[in-house]
Order: sequence, then C-alpha cells, then structure tokens
Amino acid sequence: MKTGDAQHSQSGSARETASHGLLLSVIVSTLNSRGTLPQVLAAIRGSDLPRKSYEIIVVDDASIDGSAAIAARYADTVVKLTGHSAGPAYARNRGVELARGDVIAFVDGDVVIRPDTLPRLLAILLERPDIDAVSASRNESAGAPNFVSQYWNLLLSFGEQRHSGRCAQFAPGCGVVRRAAFLSAGMYDEWRFDTASMESVELGERLLGAGHGVILSSELTVTHLKQWDFRSVCREVWHRSRVLARSLGYLRMSAAAPGEVVFTLCRTLIPAVAILGTLLLATAFVPAPHPSAKFGVALAALLLTNLPVHIFYTNTRGFWFATLSAPLHVFVQIVAAIALCTGWVLRDVFGDVSPDATTQAYSEVGLEIWPPVPRRL
Amino acid sequence: MFHAGVDAVLFQDPPTFPTVTTSTASEALRVMRDDRFITTATTAQHRGPRRTPRKSLIVVLPENHVVSADLVAERLSGERDSDQIDVILACAGQPSSIAALQGRVRALQVLLAPAGTSGEDLRELAMNQAPGDIVTLLSGTPA
Repeated sequence: MKTGDAQHSQSGSARETASHGLLLSVIVSTLNSRGTLPQVLAAIRGSDLPRKSYEIIVVDDASIDGSAAIAARYADTVVKLTGHSAGPAYARNRGVELARGDVIAFVDGDVVIRPDTLPRLLAILLERPDIDAVSASRNESAGAPNFVSQYWNLLLSFGEQRHSGRCAQFAPGCGVVRRAAFLSAGMYDEWRFDTASMESVELGERLLGAGHGVILSSELTVTHLKQWDFRSVCREVWHRSRVLARSLGYLRMSAAAPGEVVFTLCRTLIPAVAILGTLLLATAFVPAPHPSAKFGVALAALLLTNLPVHIFYTNTRGFWFATLSAPLHVFVQIVAAIALCTGWVLRDVFGDVSPDATTQAYSEVGLEIWPPVPRRL
Repeated sequence: MFHAGVDAVLFQDPPTFPTVTTSTASEALRVMRDDRFITTATTAQHRGPRRTPRKSLIVVLPENHVVSADLVAERLSGERDSDQIDVILACAGQPSSIAALQGRVRALQVLLAPAGTSGEDLRELAMNQAPGDIVTLLSGTPA
C-alpha cells in the first residue's frame, strides 16, 4: 500500500472509531494568546473528525488580554484560572481533570494543526497498542516571518527531525496521550515547572520510564505561530538549560530526549572546547600565535562542529540565511553553556527547583482551595 | 428596573429573570466588558479563597430556535452540585418557549442580544457575563 493510502486508511479508521462516541479531549492551555487563539481553535474545530467525538477544553492560565472570551467562541469548556500564571503544566493538568475522553490531546495556544493531524495521531494510538503517547513535530516554516523566529523554529525543528521516532520526546506543541497512561505516570509535573520550559520532555521521559511507548512523528508537523525576538530566544535558552541542569540531569535527558534544543546547542560545543583547549595547551610548546589567528581557529572550530546545523539552514533557507544565523547561533550556544553551568551550581547549592514557601506550606497542610495548590508528583 | 445606560438595559423584573439587552451586537460586545452591566446575580461572587471552583453553564440559543429544556437538564444532572451552577441562556432576539427551562433551572439568567447576533458572538457575550471558574458552553438546541 502506498504511504498516502496508508495515511488515508489510518485517519479513516480513526474517524470510524471516533464516530462511536467521545474519544478525544483536546486541551489547549493559553496565556495571553488572544492574537493566535482564534486561528488555533478554528484549526482544531476544522479537524477531520466527527464533532461529537471530541471536546475542546481551553484552560486560561490567568490571561489579562481577554483570551477566555475568545476561547468561548470555539470551546466546549473554558477554565479560568485566577491569580498569577501557574504555567502550562499546571493548566494542562486542570484541563485533564475535566476531560471525558479516553485520549487526551494537548495543543498549545500558539500552535496550528492541520485537519488530518488529530485523526492521524489518533490512528497511531489505535493501531499500535504498544504506543501510549505520540506527538507531532514542528513545521519548518514558522508562523512569524521575522529572522529570529525563523532561526529558532528551524533550530527546534532540526533537533526533532534528527531524533524523531522512538524517544522520550513528547513535543509540547501538539501531542496525544492515552488518559490511563498519563494518569498512571502522575500527570505533568506542576510542582517544578511553573513556567513553560521542559515539562513535556520530562513527562515523555517519565512515561518511557514507566514502560509506556512514546514517539515523536516526523511525518506529522504543526505550525508554531509564536513570534520570537533576540531577547526572548536568549531567555528561553537560558531557562531551558538551567532547568535541565538543575532539575532533570543532563546525561539522563540526553539519552532520553536527544532532540531537545539544549543538546543541539551544547553537544557541538564540547568538541569545539576540546579543540580550543588543545590549542591553548599547544602554546606551552610552540610560540603563541597572533590573536587574530587564535580567533580564526576558534571560529573555524565552532563552524566545523556546527556544520550539520549550518547545512540544514542552507538547505532550508539558503546560504545567506545560514551565514547570518551563524553568529546568532554561536551567541545562543554560549548562553546555553553558561546557563547549564549556572544550573549545576544552583543544584549543588540550593537543590532542586521548588515553589515558593507559601505554596509549599499550603501543600503541606493539604489546603483545599481553588485554583488548587500545585501538586507534588 | 435599573437603567444602566442609553444603549443597554438591565432588567430584574418583569420579566422575572435577570436580563441584559443591547441594541446592536457590537454594542453588546462593548458594554459586556463594562462591569456596570453585570447582573446582581453575577456580582454576588464569593470573596476570598474558595474551596471549590464556581461553575457556569452557558446555553447558546440561536435566533428562531427553541431551547431544549431536556438537553440542559440532562447536562446539569451530570454535575455533582447542579443547584450551585449558574445557568445563562444567551439568545439572539427575543426567546420563545423558555418557560420549560425556567421551570427546571432554579436561577436562570437570560442574556438578550440583538437579533442576528451570531452563535460565536453570543458565546463571547455570555462568557463575559459568566462568573464561573469553569464555564461549559452548550448549544441550546438538539444537534
């Protein structure tokens, strides 16, 4: 059977199964996504599935831009969280508590899916009982046209494409998971991840550790609409790297989720640093080269070790885009390296990440309030 | 009766249900964002930390449709504290035959939007009025 026919058959079987009743709960967590939410929710409602077979639950993580009202135009249920934003892990868990479907789909408030995305993700779960969670990769074309958004989107896409298939990567943009598996794994870790960072990667790793099958499909792609700038990319890299080093463990996650962008950035730094170290040691035996020669060697080492990334950029966006992105890439790599070191120091000095003292105290006494206190795994 | 402005009126009696009416859909969207137009039922929110989430059910009734009281009752029966749920009926134009629903829902709020208001606009209007932390939206007519 041709691939296209197989895909058609897969999504067709999902549609047939879906027509028998509520199968899927689509949970969209949103924070100040008024601009992108209509497109995101309209795309979900445009899914090639019977409308009665899925419900849309939007969890508004204390937005201040009226996202909840926009969500109401499309959703079946809207959860309005109040106070300060508690992060997507917390918001998604609140959505799951209300979900009625056997399968849970998580879609971010800035991710646009295609009509066949959910049916095909469902079809994988229906046809492969050994798989409990499957997510879609990131489309190479970012929704935002600016240079930094394109660079960042491609970098994330590069990691996902190189390491798709069976790994613990549960992509945060769009993924489906069996409800039973999600609950048995302990849901999202809302205790440690109070902002968007590594919560989905951590969940994927935990699911895999509990014996559940997790795959990242490279065939299914979704479009991310979020606009990035230089500052927000650096902040994101800093945050992800720090959390990775402090809470998750570099080596453990590197084995479980090799497609994570922090590894894409830092893996290539190691040979570059080794080359530079060798050169520095060599200066003890041979006359010191001119500073410009040192700089040239350092640059060459970084370009060489990042060659796969630059080739990927050249193939997807052309030579000039790759050339322009090279200095940005080096800077982002340095940010990631410093953040990793910071994370390791913080882990050794202060230990793992935990919420503020008030939240910990509330959790300790088991205070029942709404919105609930973040739960420990 | 409270006169809440030139273009929007908040009724409390008669009719017997709290109602908001507006002259145009766009005006409705504008005034709904103004706290002055929230009915007394919705402003009576609990202050301070709550133990459980407050729930609202929005029943969307397009123009020239009759609300299915059974559908709403069925939905409410699935909830644990159904008498604690705020039910808002959002209608485009003057609703007809809502007596059955009034008889089955203890505190029904009716949100009147101008005739021709789309279902999506009705949902958004009602959402701005809904006091609940968890808001369920339901089409008032059987599919």
